[in-house]
Amino acid sequence: MSLLFSQRKASGAITTNPGHRFVMFFIRHLQQALASIGELWRMPTSSLLTMAVLGISLALPTTLHLLMKNGQQLRGSWDNAAEITLFVEEGLSENQTQKVLRRIGLYNQVNQVTYIAAEDALEEFKVLSGFGDALSYLDENPLPSVILVVPTAQYSSPEGARELLEKLQAQPEISFGKLDVTWLEKLTAIITLLDDAAFSLGILLLLAVILVIANTIRLSILNRREEIEVLKLVGATNDFIRRPFLYTGIWYGLIGGLIAWICVSLILWWVEGALMELANQLETDLSLSGLNFSEFLTLIMLSSGLGWLGAYGSVMRHVYEIEPENQL
Amino acid sequence: MIRFEEVTKVYSGGQQALNKVNFHLKPGEMAFLTGHSGAGKSTLLKLIAMMERPTSGQVFINGHNLNKITKKQVPFARRDIGMIFQNHRLLMDRSVFNNVALPLIIEGYHLSDIKRRVAGALDKVGLLSKLNNMPHTLSGGELQRVGIARAIVNKPPLLLADEPTGNLDPHLSVEILKVFEDLNSVGVAVMIATHDLGLIARMKYHTFTLRQGQMIHDGLSSPDLKESEFEPVI
Repeated sequence: MSLLFSQRKASGAITTNPGHRFVMFFIRHLQQALASIGELWRMPTSSLLTMAVLGISLALPTTLHLLMKNGQQLRGSWDNAAEITLFVEEGLSENQTQKVLRRIGLYNQVNQVTYIAAEDALEEFKVLSGFGDALSYLDENPLPSVILVVPTAQYSSPEGARELLEKLQAQPEISFGKLDVTWLEKLTAIITLLDDAAFSLGILLLLAVILVIANTIRLSILNRREEIEVLKLVGATNDFIRRPFLYTGIWYGLIGGLIAWICVSLILWWVEGALMELANQLETDLSLSGLNFSEFLTLIMLSSGLGWLGAYGSVMRHVYEIEPENQL
Repeated sequence: MIRFEEVTKVYSGGQQALNKVNFHLKPGEMAFLTGHSGAGKSTLLKLIAMMERPTSGQVFINGHNLNKITKKQVPFARRDIGMIFQNHRLLMDRSVFNNVALPLIIEGYHLSDIKRRVAGALDKVGLLSKLNNMPHTLSGGELQRVGIARAIVNKPPLLLADEPTGNLDPHLSVEILKVFEDLNSVGVAVMIATHDLGLIARMKYHTFTLRQGQMIHDGLSSPDLKESEFEPVI
């Protein structure tokens, strides 16, 4: 494009075919993206150090995310912690009991209903308590019949379970119900606190990533001041000059993200070994879930995005500031 | 080609660099701009290259008022002006080819065109054989010629040179001037700022002389040009 000399033809520079221009646009971007890898490769030590810093900064929030994820899975297995115990009115007939069981089972807040008849309860108590035959001296069974209600996941929160309890207590066949929610409330509060703490820590670390990249790109811009001035003198637009820096930022983020993924995988592998030991001793089945593919993709996209953002901040400040003026 | 109308430039410190300067460089003309350092030569060239804007007055290139060129348009306007610097301003970590190719890369030429044009430009300054050399392997005169090749590689209709022979011995200076004369002979307008009076004395070229920001001489190199008007060349 010739601004001052309209009669001047730039042969070869600009093709008029829009399809071709479109393709060339991407080819040029690809060239600059590859060139910026080359730029990083020219100073491998300092580039790698920066990437390692980014990787570790990103590994921390990723690990926190995994902790929360595994914690949530563990919490899921505690869902029946919000089990409601209902004591049935005395002297209820078999028929009436079946009716109330069916009615409760139809509630859509209820996941599972179990009936423990007074006799069964006594049998169980005999076996578990070790009192054994001593109990047969009792004139009558002191234990009531009990209905155990497991709410659906949606209603297993303390508030939900309490709401359900009130509803169940209103049934005429139920004498009263019990729900031990205080410890559940405490657990939920602790988990919420940890979630919030992890979230704010994560935000801080992501901010650190942006700042590290912004500073690295700033130094790289200042190091190449002479080059930027020359580029401006021979007619480069700001967009052209800043593009390699933006790509460098993206590469930093991308490779930092990969390093974070490797770190997290190593941590998981390490912890899993210890967990197996614990699982063996407890004779239970414990396993950790790592990053799945979509989480891996999210990590990489997020880190590249942060890289771009940090670089963009620096570029907007510094590339525009540098003007060739010390001499013609 | 270049026209100044009542151009005044006062820097933010209050220093007046140019005071109501008028001149006209005709299309295809080769001219020298002389004056001692501080006379306003550099400012004048900077105004043409849009590195500075005039405080008052107007600068025209090919009839376009530069005051109307927006900041965003400056890079595109600069592509029509080849600039040559005293210290050549080459990128020392890139080969001669990559230095000369820079303006073409910026404009998005195809690689085949870039190769052809870079070879052509280097051939014009007699350095085709140094295509793949790194700048630090070249002599001062050769570096300056690479700088000229970079300025002419996209065939701008106007060349500006700021003390292009400032760092060179007289023999090399004449060689460089020869390159400018060749370019001028194919229709490129050339404006060379210099305080090397010996260089100009031998040639009959249009000469503009500045003193303390004012145009005191505008015409063919004339005998009344006094050595005392300039600082000695160091």
